[in-house]
Amino acid sequence: MARKSYLTSDSAACCWIPQFALRSETARRPELVSHPVALIAPDDTRRVWQLSSLARRAGVKPGMTVSQAIGVCPALKLCEPDPVHYDGEFSRLLAALSPVSPVIEPAELGRGFVGTDGLEGIYGTPEKIVEEIKCGVRNAECGIEAALRIGWGKGKFVSWVAASRAKPGQAIIVRPGEEGKFLASQPISVLPLDLDTHRRLRQLGLKTLGALAALPEEAVASQFGATGRRLWLLAAGRVSEPVVGRVAPEPIVAALAFFSPVAGRELLEMALDRLIERALKDPRRIGWRVQAVRACAGLEQGASWLAAVTLKEPTADRDRIAAPLKTQLERSPPAGAVERLVVEFTAFVPGTEELQLFARDATSAARAARRHALQGAAREIKLRVKRSFLYHIIEVQPWSRLPERRYALIDYEP
Amino acid sequence: MSGKTNDRIRALNVPQRVKVELDAEGLPKTAGEITVEAVLETWRIDDEWWRQPISRRCFDGVLEGGRHVVLFEDLTTGEWWIQKP
Repeated sequence: MARKSYLTSDSAACCWIPQFALRSETARRPELVSHPVALIAPDDTRRVWQLSSLARRAGVKPGMTVSQAIGVCPALKLCEPDPVHYDGEFSRLLAALSPVSPVIEPAELGRGFVGTDGLEGIYGTPEKIVEEIKCGVRNAECGIEAALRIGWGKGKFVSWVAASRAKPGQAIIVRPGEEGKFLASQPISVLPLDLDTHRRLRQLGLKTLGALAALPEEAVASQFGATGRRLWLLAAGRVSEPVVGRVAPEPIVAALAFFSPVAGRELLEMALDRLIERALKDPRRIGWRVQAVRACAGLEQGASWLAAVTLKEPTADRDRIAAPLKTQLERSPPAGAVERLVVEFTAFVPGTEELQLFARDATSAARAARRHALQGAAREIKLRVKRSFLYHIIEVQPWSRLPERRYALIDYEP
Repeated sequence: MSGKTNDRIRALNVPQRVKVELDAEGLPKTAGEITVEAVLETWRIDDEWWRQPISRRCFDGVLEGGRHVVLFEDLTTGEWWIQKP
């Protein structure tokens, strides 16, 4: 179970499919292609997110409220987001690239980097490497490969800028030594800028990376601080961030199916706790702390909800893992009632055992002893009757007018 | 490291099918083979029209022997069910 990042590559191919989520949606629902389509934002169901070209042409803009968008374009087809599907499609696409190169780094939904160091010996020229990448993407059969843009160059930034300038289905190759010339003519909007910095650069009359790189590095750093220095280095082609391949973690998954769709946040939070507990108890987790976790929910009518979190401090503590997921649940709740909830631990770091060895005080020691006794009794029951018949009774919808909805049984493993 | 743990929530107090005979006033007279000694209350539930509509005519009853139950007729199917209050 190696989880270290150790594969790197200086030369990179950036694969980019803009509007990945919308394209995934229209690929599985081809009847949408001839209509103006808007995907609703997964984190704010009152607003539209990604738009088809027909919707844009009709005047709809990303971030508009749903009512504004329909006001502008009454024929607009609104789609509930299905982030789990989009994530799955993107993972499939990345997996299809792994035969081309062992160094794959996802950047965001629809954008990833392929490390190309050493591939010349296998495939030949950069053009042939690009063809292999295209072939790998076609093998994923996502139905959206025609929109793939590829940029090839030294480091992630150069390859990303090249991909952003490429036309759909095409590639731009920046050969070694040509980075400075290529970058100089690019607009400053390709830099990873916040809106304020972008505005200030425009006010200074800086429109291209070449104009920014022509300024003294120290002058930019004194105006914009450490961020400015980094921007200058990127614009001048002085930094080259390698692609870092990560050994794909094999996740621990715990799932829960509700007997009737659940919309109440309290029950969902409780279910999250329960699933995290379950996943933590997986024997393969022992000795490792959880670094990345995600919660996926299957909703009524086929939509989905997804919350993914990377923990600042990896932990094996249920509440610490659950807290950021619950925050996301509160900030951007599922758009419908939940039929199935899944928790996945997707990345780990080696754990420390000393924290688990001793109870901190007498109360927790007594609690640990009771739990130990309970575990022994539960094991004995399981041995005798071949399965555990221990359950918790939990409140589901105690206010419901339907008696069978008020309480439920859930498996109990002390 | 791959593992999948499937869990399931089981509903408590799931209604059971029952054969009900009605008296002249349309109130339950027997549930299964057991006499309904008293009907304490009746009400109607109409809910979840947006999903799988639920429509029930409910009777809070006491069976012979003192057992307190809820009998209801599913108005979408005409079937009768029994469960704890």
